[in-house]
Amino acid sequence: MNCRSIAVLVLAWSAVSILITGCFGKQEINDLAMVTAVGLDLYGDNQVSLSVQIVRPADARGQTGAPSGGTGEPIYSIQSQGRTIFEAARNLARFSSRRVYWAHNFVIVIGEDYARRGIADMIDFFTRNHELRMSTWVVVTPDKASEVIATITGMEVVPGEAIDKLFRYNQIVAEAPGSNMMRLQESFLATGAEPVLAKVQLKPRGISNKKPNQFGSLKQVVLSGAAVFKGDKMQGWLSPKDAKGLLPFIEKVDSEIAIVNCPNEPGKRTTLELKKLKQTMKPGWKDGKITLRIKQKIDANLVELGCSNSYAVVREQLEVKLRQQMEDQVKNIFDIAQQQYRTDFLKAGQTFHNRYPQEWRKVAAEWDDYFAEADVTVQTDVKLTSPVLKLKEPTSGKELK
Amino acid sequence: MNVRITNGMLLALVMNVIYAKAIGITQGIIAREVASDMWLSTLIGMLQGIAAAWLTARVIRMGGQASMIDIASKAAGKWAGKLIAAVLLLFFTGAFATVLVTFTYHLMDYFLPEAPVILFVVAALAVGLYGAYHGVEVMGRMAFVGVFSILILNILVMMGSIAEFDVKNLLPVMDSGLARTVWASRHFDTDWSLATMMIAILLPHVKKPQRWGRASAVSILFAGLTVAIWPILETGVLSAEATREYIVACMQLARSAHIGLFLHRYEMIMVAFFATSSLIQIMMSLFCASVCASKIVGVNDYRLLLLPTALLLGGTGYWIVADHLRAMIFTADYWPLFAVPVAIGIPLLIGGISMLRRNKEPAV
Repeated sequence: MNCRSIAVLVLAWSAVSILITGCFGKQEINDLAMVTAVGLDLYGDNQVSLSVQIVRPADARGQTGAPSGGTGEPIYSIQSQGRTIFEAARNLARFSSRRVYWAHNFVIVIGEDYARRGIADMIDFFTRNHELRMSTWVVVTPDKASEVIATITGMEVVPGEAIDKLFRYNQIVAEAPGSNMMRLQESFLATGAEPVLAKVQLKPRGISNKKPNQFGSLKQVVLSGAAVFKGDKMQGWLSPKDAKGLLPFIEKVDSEIAIVNCPNEPGKRTTLELKKLKQTMKPGWKDGKITLRIKQKIDANLVELGCSNSYAVVREQLEVKLRQQMEDQVKNIFDIAQQQYRTDFLKAGQTFHNRYPQEWRKVAAEWDDYFAEADVTVQTDVKLTSPVLKLKEPTSGKELK
Repeated sequence: MNVRITNGMLLALVMNVIYAKAIGITQGIIAREVASDMWLSTLIGMLQGIAAAWLTARVIRMGGQASMIDIASKAAGKWAGKLIAAVLLLFFTGAFATVLVTFTYHLMDYFLPEAPVILFVVAALAVGLYGAYHGVEVMGRMAFVGVFSILILNILVMMGSIAEFDVKNLLPVMDSGLARTVWASRHFDTDWSLATMMIAILLPHVKKPQRWGRASAVSILFAGLTVAIWPILETGVLSAEATREYIVACMQLARSAHIGLFLHRYEMIMVAFFATSSLIQIMMSLFCASVCASKIVGVNDYRLLLLPTALLLGGTGYWIVADHLRAMIFTADYWPLFAVPVAIGIPLLIGGISMLRRNKEPAV
């Protein structure tokens, strides 16, 4: 074999090597089990029970009933156990006819027992895995995670997609944080902040079309409230009302509603929609003690008037009531963070670190104690800017006579 | 090698040669040292790079518009030239290993985890040989495509990240202190050192010598600015604490990017743009190493030594890339200690010798 032939062979081999790179580790689409939701529960004392909701593409095309060749079941939920998450995932292959594929996962649901034991292994597994999206939602449930991921909610045929959409439209309720894997990893690794995850639970909210008289015969996944962590361990829950106070500290609040009592009219209520909520936290450091000054600036619209007086009459009093309510909301969430859980999920440490980097070095190791003792003041500025379409109160024409 | 390239091609080559490693591997390493000050460290490194590139161009212009190796031969004898060529060959071998770390870990860890390492080494060498064989003008033209890819990639990652950007993650500024931030810039220095050493070999083939100094410095400035966007986004979007966790930090940012609700996981598109820049890095490392090898052996045509050099670079690169921990220890701990002194020391040494000889020459 002469030099020319060797050169041609080497070149041909190199060319083939490059051209077939796409074949390494190839995964045919009909060999994949596409996971759309993952549930993690504790199994025994220290083992993992992994549930996955796998979509059946032929049955999840948006139509009701069984399409030809399909089963009529849009999802296939399975469960396996292992000493680690990866072992449990591999054990799925014992009975799953397809290879589990994580890239289309919408949500990871963690059972309360698992969350209280610690979620460091879960954060590591899902952030080390190149298939998973960092925008995957992460939630905690007081129910069995396996049950939550198998429950069809809303109008979607795939439960994972339903939870994804709940998160998208939950912004208008503002009762649960938009906790995704990226934000969870960030707060878990940060020195001046603790993780907080959204809470989901099963509640009998659905009405069966076949048995409309049996209200609540269908369980639905409800996204409301939050779970508070210290390090990787869950400490407890925040109610939906508490979560409303939390949200402005950790994310942008686009919209929120507040219900206030009508001035001098017990039992009558008015609804205000917060159109703009701007909140700042200014830390201070005096004589070895930390102060936190919270300033809120709120623009609100009156969207439902239940009072007997017109907007012009009640406007100023409603502003005072809303201001009081918003200040109480902030004080309440600080009470929970400082006294009940003694964990800084409000990112006060991060804010303090940014403003006092030198002092932070002194207090960082005992930040939870400093945070618990911090003096908090709240100042809220409220403006009711619009009664939307009408100025007058809803009074019957007969009463006016 | 009688080919001449334009200053624009030089700029494009420098940008490509610096970019691929600097946005990911380097930023992860810097984040492990100075956390949220990684963007400052990168900018400080860029300023040092501008000075070093200007110095290198100045030395070459002063030394009679020949490559650094030829200037050394002229100033201190044939063996001095061979010694400099040997040091530079060693430099490009090390640089190629870090480039291969970048190329392989981007593609293998995120897209082809089951493919063997050797595949990436062979693919890199095949493309590198193709480019290096066709010479500097072909690579210069490809570098224009590379610059276009860099710009598109930067735009795509900005569009996909800006919604998640939190400026508070960049605070407090200079939290690690000036000394540590400056010291951490040595990692970005290793990236521009590949560019300045390429300039040391390539500059005599660039047109308009009067513009060499400015073109070299501006090239590093442009490269630095296109790179600096990444540590700012990585800190602002992922946080410094998350960035420092990853070997290839930029891929973590890329796979977190999404444009609106429906366009996400488009890192495959981004990595295609990245690959252009990475492949030009590979070609240039191989080309410069072959030129150095030809100077050591004493042959005029560097192409004769392309294959042996490719085997040397490929073998070393494979050994380093095959073990992730070894690769990161080499890239983060050992490589800056060799690369930065070479990139600064050789122009200073040769410039100094040239000046001394000029002073000794009797005035006519």
